[in-house]
Amino acid sequence: MLRKMALALLLLFIAVGAVMPALAQETIELEAWVAFSDHRYDWAVDTAERFNALYDNINVNMVSVVDYDTIVNNYTLGREDGNYPEIVQLFDAALQFAVDTGWFSFAEEIIAGRDEVLGQAVDFDDIIPVISNYYTVDGVWASVAWNTSTPIMYYNVDMLQAAGIEELPTTWADILDACVALQPMVDDGTISACASWPFSGWFIEQWLAQQNEYMVNNENGRAARATEFNLDTDAYRAIAQFYRDMYSNGYFIFEGQDQWGPTTQNFISGKVAIHMSSSAAARAISEGAAETGFALDTTGMVYNDDAPSGWVGNILGGATMWISNGLSPEAEEAAMAFLLFFSNTENSASWHTASGYVPVRNSSIDLLRNLEPGNEILWDIPSGARVDIEADDWYAAFPNFLTASTQLGNSTVNNATRGSTYGTFQQSRPYYNGLVEEYMLNGGDLDAMIAETNATLTELLQEYNFLFADE
Amino acid sequence: MDEIAYSVNPVVVGLVGGLVGALYFAFLRWQTQVGSLNASLLVGAVCGVAGAMLLTAPLGYCMFGADQKNDDLIVGWIMVALGLLLTLNLGSMLLWRFFRGQRLLPRGDTTPGAFRGRFGALYAAAVLSPTILVLVYFVYLPMFDTLRLSTFLARFGAPRTRFICVSNFSRMLSDLDYHSNLFLSFALSFGIIIITMSLALLIAAMLNQPIKGANIYRTFLIWPYAISPIVAGSIFGLLLGTESGIVNRVLDLVFGVKVPWLVTIPAAQISVVLASVWNVIGFNILFYTAGLQTIPKDLLESASIDGASAWQRFARITFPLLSPFTFFLIVTNTIYAFFDTFGLIFVLTRGGPTESTFTAMYRVYVTGILASDIGKSTAQSLILFLIVVGITIFQFRVGQRRVQYGNY
Amino acid sequence: MTESASSRFVFDPSANQSRPLWRRLIPQRWYAHLILTISVIIITFPMFYALLISTQSNPEVYNHKFTPGSMFFENLRTVMVQRNMGRFMLNSFVIAISIAVGKTIMSVLAGLGLVYFRYPGKWIVFGFVLITLIMPGDVLLIALYRRVVSFDGWPHPYVALTLPLLASATGVFIFRQHFMTMPPDLSEAAQLDGASPLQFLFRVLIPLSWNTIGALMVIMFLFGWNQFLWPLILLRDQHLQVVQWGMQSLSQNLEVGDNFGPMMMGVIITSLPPMIIFLILQRQFMKGFALTRDK
Repeated sequence: MLRKMALALLLLFIAVGAVMPALAQETIELEAWVAFSDHRYDWAVDTAERFNALYDNINVNMVSVVDYDTIVNNYTLGREDGNYPEIVQLFDAALQFAVDTGWFSFAEEIIAGRDEVLGQAVDFDDIIPVISNYYTVDGVWASVAWNTSTPIMYYNVDMLQAAGIEELPTTWADILDACVALQPMVDDGTISACASWPFSGWFIEQWLAQQNEYMVNNENGRAARATEFNLDTDAYRAIAQFYRDMYSNGYFIFEGQDQWGPTTQNFISGKVAIHMSSSAAARAISEGAAETGFALDTTGMVYNDDAPSGWVGNILGGATMWISNGLSPEAEEAAMAFLLFFSNTENSASWHTASGYVPVRNSSIDLLRNLEPGNEILWDIPSGARVDIEADDWYAAFPNFLTASTQLGNSTVNNATRGSTYGTFQQSRPYYNGLVEEYMLNGGDLDAMIAETNATLTELLQEYNFLFADE
Repeated sequence: MDEIAYSVNPVVVGLVGGLVGALYFAFLRWQTQVGSLNASLLVGAVCGVAGAMLLTAPLGYCMFGADQKNDDLIVGWIMVALGLLLTLNLGSMLLWRFFRGQRLLPRGDTTPGAFRGRFGALYAAAVLSPTILVLVYFVYLPMFDTLRLSTFLARFGAPRTRFICVSNFSRMLSDLDYHSNLFLSFALSFGIIIITMSLALLIAAMLNQPIKGANIYRTFLIWPYAISPIVAGSIFGLLLGTESGIVNRVLDLVFGVKVPWLVTIPAAQISVVLASVWNVIGFNILFYTAGLQTIPKDLLESASIDGASAWQRFARITFPLLSPFTFFLIVTNTIYAFFDTFGLIFVLTRGGPTESTFTAMYRVYVTGILASDIGKSTAQSLILFLIVVGITIFQFRVGQRRVQYGNY
Repeated sequence: MTESASSRFVFDPSANQSRPLWRRLIPQRWYAHLILTISVIIITFPMFYALLISTQSNPEVYNHKFTPGSMFFENLRTVMVQRNMGRFMLNSFVIAISIAVGKTIMSVLAGLGLVYFRYPGKWIVFGFVLITLIMPGDVLLIALYRRVVSFDGWPHPYVALTLPLLASATGVFIFRQHFMTMPPDLSEAAQLDGASPLQFLFRVLIPLSWNTIGALMVIMFLFGWNQFLWPLILLRDQHLQVVQWGMQSLSQNLEVGDNFGPMMMGVIITSLPPMIIFLILQRQFMKGFALTRDK
């Protein structure tokens, strides 16, 4: 009887799944892990298929791994048992981790000064400098930029005009002035408050860079490995104070940390006049504004005009494609060729129209300004399908898409705007964001709070360095 | 042996353990008046020494090293106390069985109807082995693999780890944030359990009435149970946003008020409790309805004929007879509230505002899975595990006394 | 339904002979209907709101439209065709059924071993099983992954996925308690007939346990259906992924904003299979089962 039971169990399992047939193939099989699973994944699959059609002996297979954190975790586990992809999309916060583990071949070293790889042209100079500089490690271009975004402001122009504001706010002071002007509309119940945006650590990083300030020492970890946190700065205090001013005067609707959906909703449904979000949300917000029926306009992310530096520039956000090391030379070549194709002028422009992420090449912007009739690069975002838009200047149809490219294009490249790189990025974000949250909601002794958080974060960073740094 | 500098010599630790053991056994001897005093003292001392060493020796008494902080010493003494708790209880149990002339191990309990025959134990081993093997290989071994890391500074993907003795634990001792996380876990769990179970019992009692449409009511009522905690968080996020949520939209239209559900201090905690209650109440209703079916109708009828009111019937008959179900639900709800709500919290509040919904398990999740700081997170999860084991043992103790094992 | 009729006569206070007319007009047990109706309204409100959103476009959600929106079929198409939810649901169904059946079989066997034999240290074995209920599984996933992949003879990834989940502390607990309520005469009689323990299990215990088995299957199916982190780590072929993976991909909003309609469409659709399983097995469940009666 026992044997029968065991047999039944076994049969059950065999019935559960047919054994996958192992196909013997001559071609170079490349697997690429991406964090997207929606229309952005569809675009990546489509682009990989177009690439595969160009080469008889290369087959790139796009695999969706749901989110950024899972990619890092699964890749790390895969490294232990040899089950990892040739190409992987890593988000900005994992930059130091990618460098420290030594698991990746740097793009510039694979290319080794050539003009083209398997027929795919190399053109570094075309890439927007602040983007290429983020992923430059020790002077070497490490990974291939893909989805790139930057925060921009979204304004309900109808409301601003009703409050008598003619110029769009560009600084913190402008925002506070606008909020004062909008207050009568809040008081009579026309709107709920002046502004609402996601309370995200990403914005704090941006505002530090704008004020030419570093998050961590050794010039944001760019001059040498970061060893200490650098929160005890006027720039960071100014950010906390700005939020405090916004919140305590009732100008800012706080919906919790990293609540992107609710705050976008507040703006689109006409409850607030001012919103800040990723440039990648431009399409969704434009459509929402049109549906609700108000005039939308965008500017670059507002900055602190009291800072001695003025506006220096913004950091990019997003993720890039890395090539695993230890591949066969053929596979490495094929992977490099694919990523060059993936980020060439046409595909970068196409990606922009499909997703709203910033095109990483200047030539892509030019291309979108002077479209040939019958081109095949434009995508419709909601349906995830290619479309023909009757315009020869895409930016004329979607002017708000240019705001982000302008902001990144105008950014001065230095070690503040290149962004910080250190190992505990993901772990630290909730701390420096939470501190500002606490001060915004409850006030308190900012100096003491900063001293405590700075010490905690420095300790975490040093623990990381102890485990990862060569010594 | 190498000369290692200790702030408390291991010999002293062992002696303290032996002394405590001898005293405790002497006390037991005095209390029970059974067995020989000398044997009690001797076995007590041995158990005491063993208890003091049980958890400290495997780590080489590192927590008593001269270079350790004060908090590490305290953790060391707590480990001695935990070890003593184990060995003294076990030792006294065995010794007094011996004193009373009983077998050291009970010869199986006297389950009526057990199969006789010489190979009973083998047969039992055979039918238990699938479960035991799976548990050993896929639960216990990974558990030990993981716990080993709790004495290390370790990060996922790092080329090396560093043994740091009990620092991960002593860190928690002085970490006020962690204390409030733990307290919050208790408070939220208490709220979730009380509200869920009282509502579920009320609803199940109504479902148990001979009314039309009970099936339809029941099906609707357990619907939310089919939703995973993380998705429940997404739905409540849509409901409870201050400006964006539909609940405030309705409240605003009807009463002209907006409740900041997720961003002010008691409201966010209440929201998390309510969302959890919503998620888990179907399970409770299910079990209580099943339980109510087992209550013999004739018992209630005769009580009714004797003039007991509906409330008296409930309080004297129904509720006591439901106690096995109540007990089972308390245990499973405790586990849900402590361990399974982190996904919901992640989506709904991110532990905010100002860490007011940051539970201990949420910290384990954030530290271990999001930040890959696995040494600390396994130490935190070990503490959480010990706490829930403690709660469960307490519940079993109370349960043994309160649960009605009637014979009808 | 004679039984309920008789109990209605005995229990209902309003059934006393001299009822005034106004009380006869009110439905019997109106209070039960009232409480249940209120409970259903409150408890299902989030689900029906999700259902409403599943028909709407983003701007319709943003503007709090209370009427069904224009996007029902569009959202349905997005979920089932574009995001392939049908495939994930099929995968999860296979996994959840395997887990439910496997857990039930193993729990029944373990319950047999814990009740119908005499051997020393039985409570240690029971404690050994029961304590796993408290172990935070999500913390162990990485170590579990390493254990699982260190063996590479798995016939199919789903075997590697489900086997570690097949032991169930809850199931063992429930069957142990259930078997303890069985009259001892049953096994005495079976032994007199010379039946082996397994024959006793199949011929006597299981036919008497369908209620408990049905109830447990509902819980275990849901456990399998809601698996997310473990398949996420273990399965490297996304076509093998599970329904919660599909849900996660629907609610994905890396910077670009939510897609509420498809997401809530996913919530509604993926909540249906567990409900269907429950409806199939609810007769068993509602017949009730005893949880404990010691000695």
